[in-house]
Amino acid sequence: MTQHRSRGIRRIGVLVAVPALSALTLAACGGGDDGGSGGSGGSGAADGFSFAFENASGGQENPWQLLADQYAEETGVEIETQGLPPDSYGLSMRTQLQGGSAPDVMMFSPGAGNSNAVLPLAEAGYIEALGEESASLVPAGNESLFEIDGEVYAQPTSIIPVGMAWNSAAASDGGVDVPADESAMLDACGTLAGEGKSFLAVAGSAPPNMGLMAMAISATRVYAETPDWNEQRAAGDVSFADSEGWQATLQTVVDMNEAGCFQQGAAGGGFDAITQGLTQGTSLAAFVPGAAATELANASPGLNLQVQPFPPADGGDPFMLASPNYALSINASAEDGAKEAAREFLAWMAEPENAARFVELQGGVAITGPDENLSPVYEPVADLLESGDYAPLPNLTWPNPGVYDALSTGVQGLLAGQGDIASVLESIDQAWDQ
Amino acid sequence: MFRYTKATALREVLVWAFALLTLLPFYFLVINALKPDEELLTTGSSTPPSRPTVENFTEVLTATGDSNILLGLLHSAVITVGSIAGLVAFGSLAAYVLARTTARWGSVAFYLFLVAIVLPTQLGLIPLYIGARQLGLVGSLWGMIVLYVGTLMPLAVFLYAGFFRNLPRDYEEAAALDGAGPARVFFRVVLPLMAPATGTVAILAGLIVWNDFFSALIFLGGSDNQTLPVSMYYYVGSLVSAWNKIFAIVLISMVPILAFYLFAQKRFIQGFAGGIK
Amino acid sequence: MTATMGTPQDTGPLVRGTVPAAGGGQPARPRRSRPLITYGRWWWALPAILAVLLIHYVATAGGALYAFTNWTGIGDFDWVGLDNFRRILDDPALIGSLENTLFLAFGFLIATNVVGLLLALALNRTLRTRYLLRVLFFMPVVLSPLAVSYIWKFIFDFNGPLNDVLAWFGAAPKTWLADPTLALWAVLVVMAWQTTGMVMVIYLAGLATVPAEIEEAAALDGASTWRRFRYITLPSIRPSLAIASTLMLIQGLRVFDQVMALTGGGPAGATETLATQVYKETFALSNFGFGAALALLLTLIMLVFSVLQQAATRDRS
Repeated sequence: MTQHRSRGIRRIGVLVAVPALSALTLAACGGGDDGGSGGSGGSGAADGFSFAFENASGGQENPWQLLADQYAEETGVEIETQGLPPDSYGLSMRTQLQGGSAPDVMMFSPGAGNSNAVLPLAEAGYIEALGEESASLVPAGNESLFEIDGEVYAQPTSIIPVGMAWNSAAASDGGVDVPADESAMLDACGTLAGEGKSFLAVAGSAPPNMGLMAMAISATRVYAETPDWNEQRAAGDVSFADSEGWQATLQTVVDMNEAGCFQQGAAGGGFDAITQGLTQGTSLAAFVPGAAATELANASPGLNLQVQPFPPADGGDPFMLASPNYALSINASAEDGAKEAAREFLAWMAEPENAARFVELQGGVAITGPDENLSPVYEPVADLLESGDYAPLPNLTWPNPGVYDALSTGVQGLLAGQGDIASVLESIDQAWDQ
Repeated sequence: MFRYTKATALREVLVWAFALLTLLPFYFLVINALKPDEELLTTGSSTPPSRPTVENFTEVLTATGDSNILLGLLHSAVITVGSIAGLVAFGSLAAYVLARTTARWGSVAFYLFLVAIVLPTQLGLIPLYIGARQLGLVGSLWGMIVLYVGTLMPLAVFLYAGFFRNLPRDYEEAAALDGAGPARVFFRVVLPLMAPATGTVAILAGLIVWNDFFSALIFLGGSDNQTLPVSMYYYVGSLVSAWNKIFAIVLISMVPILAFYLFAQKRFIQGFAGGIK
Repeated sequence: MTATMGTPQDTGPLVRGTVPAAGGGQPARPRRSRPLITYGRWWWALPAILAVLLIHYVATAGGALYAFTNWTGIGDFDWVGLDNFRRILDDPALIGSLENTLFLAFGFLIATNVVGLLLALALNRTLRTRYLLRVLFFMPVVLSPLAVSYIWKFIFDFNGPLNDVLAWFGAAPKTWLADPTLALWAVLVVMAWQTTGMVMVIYLAGLATVPAEIEEAAALDGASTWRRFRYITLPSIRPSLAIASTLMLIQGLRVFDQVMALTGGGPAGATETLATQVYKETFALSNFGFGAALALLLTLIMLVFSVLQQAATRDRS
């Protein structure tokens, strides 16, 4: 029913906008032909397709672009790529999908918790359901991030572990080992602060970095004990405000801030603070997705980064986050030829050797799980990955982007001396329930 | 009168001091644009490069593909010039009629433009995109020109109307008495007198179009017609941004507009004074 | 649609006999009773009116309807009546962003106009290097707001030049963009830095209309600088004042780019403005309906202030 209404209203918009614009066009340039040179939704010569992805590689080669190049080279299939800024990627895709000009293959994040998430689009009927081959790639326990009513709408490409990117050279310079628990870490923070260094470099001015930090800490404080905490929250059985785990998570942030774990001026730092801290060795670690450790290492030759799990609370066991953070989907209204070409591309991606090659380009872990090709970056967490001691990035499962935003800006406020733990957790609950 | 006195000299020195303070940010822009890659991550942003280089400029100017700055420059220039032309043509005509008519519809229409300046146009993004897409305007330079002419029309009309209202009618009346028709009066008498208004519209609207990132991204996304600000974004990274390249592009993108301003400065500002005495 | 098609036809006959006599807010010319000439043709305004009706009114109305729904930005939705508006009134965070918006808008309006006018007066005549100086002061205007924010982010950085200057004076370094109070001022400084040159140009255009001879004559008659400014300069820059203040007020109320690129509305919402909040709700956080309601509210506020501003700068002569 609602579907009807929504289509209706959109049609009203089009009905009024189209004749209006055509009048304009006639005045200005004498009419236009549908399809134009613009959208590539119908670029579908049978043997090619268009492909959109986020591009934030700072002028370096983008892994998705390299992937497309490899595929084109091997198969002779033409790919029209579109690398877009991450900040507005979700908006660009939603606009293009509703305008009917979206690319044939699109990169999304799984679940519904990000602005570039795939499930809301699939629910609205814009995404093509995929076959068994794609479904088989979804890691166990992650089905809800890719499926609606048993149909899979996105194909995961790799697993990205999230912990701390650790500069071991700087650590040994500072005489610090990877701390085994929270008190050891707070001690190390004090030691380093005395030397004018910091344990962590964080981008306090960038909410997503604050959110990632909180989630990385929550791995041991919340999800190690209660892997299905998100499902319980969705059912209304628990809340952020009453969760001891989440309280402990934010308390850890406050304690770290007081112990001098962050670089000076952390609350105002941008991502450059992380880059400079790690490359210059003034900070030992940073919260970045595992793949970004590869990106950083590429940008500064000689820098050796490894991924370490964030230290557990005293007496706790190590646990970390790892999940397919990116997935590929096919536009439901792509032309048949393009759709076919897109399916072939996804099938090619699913082949282990090609998946492995992409992992190498992007710096993640093979979607089929860690194997002998595991990048040395992940050596410290290989055991955790092997034994399954990890949970997916929590925000992927959350119902809307507002939840993560509330967490991120809340933690940012804690660092800048605004708000308190209780009010932050309450605002997250509010965002969830809206 | 108004000779150059000691007080004037003091004023000149003071203004220069203020100017240098104002321009300090450009110092950081320039030193970072001259920084070689290897110093980018290892030195602070306020440290000048130990080995200044123009490599960044040559690299961004010769880049191809998504980061093709020259092509971006060209597209931006076409869109900006086209939009200014449309705004000047349609905006001045509309504003002239609205400023001179005494009929009630004139003030109604004027308020239509005025209110449009504050309308939350971002709400119209999706209907506009769908409509433009059906007309084949998405992804084309023509489409962008139509879009910008439409979006900035209220601004152009507002600016022109302000100027037209203060133009004495004597010139038009004189020309009309000499037998010139309305069109001739407007194009031969009014528009030339209104060069400063045209200059203001061109600069204000031109700057907005030239620097616009968002609409270009949405309406040109996926096409090969990307503009300069979007091309620049290629060098912005989630973690590592090539600030030296970005700032080189920022400097490059300043050149055409500054050149236009230099050209326009004497012509428009002086022309105004000369025309109306 | 009816409105679109109707306007020109309805009004056509009214205009055909265009009378150039007194009326509206325009300078009156009562001595003439009969029109001698026609000033342009009514249909000259048609393309512009059509463009604005379509691109502004129709498209925006298409989106504004969602203010009465719970649409996320894609897919299904339900009509929720005035719920979104009710939520806005209940949300204390919005009062904060309204305060921030008004602070930035009026700070921006005052700073740019005062400094811009002073610069224009200083650079209008006599200075030998005035043309060069005009270009120098105009340079920030040419930058994109995005680029401006990138540069200033470096300046406000904890290890940046601004804190170096503080260190010379022995003051403790500050986290400019992370301090709730400082961050708002920082945004204001950046906005004003970028735009003052534009305001200067608008005033220069107005000042150029003051004939030097009249000013000289007044000076010879012994009129003080202030009296010359008040009775000769000010009346002739009144149009510039109206234009500059309207533009700056509206630009200030809509402030978006600089906030987004400098602080993203942070820390924890301390620099959030109505425009950044509208953007976040509609496009980033998938609350299109709520964001649309917020946008309508923002429009209402801007309209109120624009009307007040128009009344304040109207030519009363």
